Amino acid sequence: MTALLSVDGISAGYGAITVLRDLTLHVGRDESIGLFGPNGHGKTTLLRTISGLLRASAGRIRFDGADISRQRPAAIVNAGLVHSPQANTMFGDMAIAETLELAAFAPRARAGAKQRMEQVLALFPRLAERRKQLARTLSGGERQMLSIGCALMCDPRLLMLDEPTLGLSPRLKEELAEAVGAIARSGVPLIVVEQDVEFLLALTQRLYMIEHGAVAREIDRSDGLDHREVMQLYFGQGGEA
Amino acid sequence: MTTSLRRFAPLFALALLLVVPFLATDSYTRHLFIIAFIYAIVAANWNLSLGYCGVFNFGHLTFFGVGVYTAAIAAKTFGITPWLAIPLGGITAAGAAFLIAAPVARLKGIYVVLVTFAVSQLAMQLVLSQSQITGGGEGMVRIPYLQLGDYSFIRDFKFGYYYVALGLLVLSTLFLRFVVQSPFGKALLAVRDAQDYSTARGISVSRQRILVLVLSAIFTGIAGGFYAIYLRVASPEVFGFGTMSLVLSMVLLGGVGTLYGPIAAALALTFLTEALAGIQGFEEARFIVVAVVMVLILRLAPGGLVSLLDRLRPSRPAS
Amino acid sequence: MNSIVATLVSGILLGSLYALMASGLSVVWTTLGVFNFAHGALMMIGAYAAWTVSEGMGLGLLPGILAGVAVAALCGIVIEYLLIRPFYGTRHMLLVTVMTTLAALIILEKGAQLIWGAKLKQLPRLVTGDVSIFGATISWHEAIIILLAPIVLLLLWRFTAMTNRGRSLRAVGQNQDSAALIGIDVPYAFAIAFGLAAALAGLTGALLGSIRFITPVMGSEPLVKAMIVVIFGGLGSLGATAGAAYVIGLLEAFLILWLGLYWTPFALFLLMIAVLIFRPNGLFGRA
Repeated sequence: MTALLSVDGISAGYGAITVLRDLTLHVGRDESIGLFGPNGHGKTTLLRTISGLLRASAGRIRFDGADISRQRPAAIVNAGLVHSPQANTMFGDMAIAETLELAAFAPRARAGAKQRMEQVLALFPRLAERRKQLARTLSGGERQMLSIGCALMCDPRLLMLDEPTLGLSPRLKEELAEAVGAIARSGVPLIVVEQDVEFLLALTQRLYMIEHGAVAREIDRSDGLDHREVMQLYFGQGGEA
Repeated sequence: MTTSLRRFAPLFALALLLVVPFLATDSYTRHLFIIAFIYAIVAANWNLSLGYCGVFNFGHLTFFGVGVYTAAIAAKTFGITPWLAIPLGGITAAGAAFLIAAPVARLKGIYVVLVTFAVSQLAMQLVLSQSQITGGGEGMVRIPYLQLGDYSFIRDFKFGYYYVALGLLVLSTLFLRFVVQSPFGKALLAVRDAQDYSTARGISVSRQRILVLVLSAIFTGIAGGFYAIYLRVASPEVFGFGTMSLVLSMVLLGGVGTLYGPIAAALALTFLTEALAGIQGFEEARFIVVAVVMVLILRLAPGGLVSLLDRLRPSRPAS
Repeated sequence: MNSIVATLVSGILLGSLYALMASGLSVVWTTLGVFNFAHGALMMIGAYAAWTVSEGMGLGLLPGILAGVAVAALCGIVIEYLLIRPFYGTRHMLLVTVMTTLAALIILEKGAQLIWGAKLKQLPRLVTGDVSIFGATISWHEAIIILLAPIVLLLLWRFTAMTNRGRSLRAVGQNQDSAALIGIDVPYAFAIAFGLAAALAGLTGALLGSIRFITPVMGSEPLVKAMIVVIFGGLGSLGATAGAAYVIGLLEAFLILWLGLYWTPFALFLLMIAVLIFRPNGLFGRA
């Protein structure tokens, strides 16, 4: 069976600056993967390229067998590949409930939107309490919840989360980590970018370490590496960058 | 070699322009040069506020119009000698600029565009409505012309007017050079390129903007005064979209934030539009051509606009 | 007493026209961050298209108005595609699009002059006859404009607030990346916003063509008034823009009553300056 997502030798960047260099990775069916590695080495750029916000200058991206490397973000979302970006500020002048309703915008997401809304509000009770509140009045953690909630409203077949717990207090971080775990358990395959390798190890089967815009190492947990060894890898090789 | 070429290019161009009236003895060619010189002054001064200071001023032609009507009213209604009426246009234009600049200096972004633009439209409405003074939509005609003793400027095939216009252009360019190269001009660039710089250096951006608008109005108003005296007409068209887009395209073509670019562009575009006007049925359509040229510059050669708005290194010689 | 009522009614009529114009500017601004200088020219195109279908072809006024709306919308979409989209996301987009929409204004005005000539044209009225409102007499056509404007504004508000398509325009205006990532096609949203605003301008033009003369420059005065409206009301919210439109319309009517036609633009302008000195983001606007 082919992979759900295969990224095949892509290069991408901003203007004259190349960030990703011939990067290859894949996500199998019914698995979640984690991405880690030093900041500024291309993890976010990779997700932006997969979701179509950036166009790859070389290489190919396939989702469920179809080439999506030249498609617009809207079409990619409609195929079920959904990205919740880092530090997403959402729509400042829009209320939470309105934003979530809007997020079921793609044709494939329309059926069952009401039901999914209830699931999202059950997953994030904080959002349920603040239904009428405008996004710009929310805290960083609440916005993160809204962003993930919106991604869920798109009815994802593969969900990409970029540092969902970045800059949050320990309590909120735990709350979000639990929610992400619940999403994974509900059967949605994930690509999670995180600094916190422990968090990734608890969530995913395979990890990619991204360095200098390419995969520096692939770690499959079936190889029997334990947490300590992974941490050593991370800090031993990428620590000085 | 190239640097000395750059330094002497303006002087070389000036020398060429000085001999033009001897080569082109017909008054039509001289007329086109005179009009081009006037537009060159307006475009180059507009560039001071738009290009060097980054003020989104879309009411620059207001200053020109104020100059036009000041000179026309002074010379025709009050009988002031045209030699004085012309510089008077610069004074009233600077005054108008000060009045407009005070509220505009505090505004941001699109609101600067809206207010400055609305000012020019309201100036036009004012001119139209005060027809006892301005002649309304008909404008003012038969404005007194320049005379020097017994020498009349309207019987020499525009020989005298040519040199007056060129003289004004030279004065305006020297003035702009002085402003741009002064510490004030350097601070303008610094503030435009790095907003934080102003805070660090304690520069008042609004005071700077007011001063720039006033400075850019002086020669624009004088050019307007000369325009009225030279053509012997003042009409509200000077506030219209047509004139504005023509001058704007000169600024864009010449490169925003350069000293001599708009002057060269003014010469090129004046002759181009005049040539188009000569074609049957193109009297109005030439403005469409100017508009299309403007869009094409913005699309295909944004370097003139964008790169210079982005960053104009002070060390780079103005070209 | 009678003159007060008449002034009120004419102020509301002016306000209705300004609200229809300014709401289109507001839609484009909140979605694309572009101020469309060609908005008045689109209104003029709507009036001419309505005239061509209604009078030129003799098909009647209602098909004419529909044609005016359609042709203006089409022009709007073309302007967006050719003159806005290529500059999207560039650093000086605000300034550049001011210039390109100015270019569009020139092209439309001069183009209209070439196509339809300089001769004044006028549309017939929707309904002939006059109506008396508390002693003030206006034409039925004007009364219809007064009634129609709030309905159109309400529909527009409902569209942007209640429907997902309308919300998508607001979302794009507030955060393009986030909008794209929930499946909103950003370029498509731009085209819709521009087309919708142009359609509103076309409708205004077609309605105005019955009570004023249709000329190539008929859009510039309403555009300047709409600019004053958005300076007062800010560009960000439809409600504030519409409110400011009626305030300006009434103000203008009363200024004409007190100061006469000549000094009114000047007084209006001084007032605008005064407002801006104290509230640089407009009277009802926020930062």
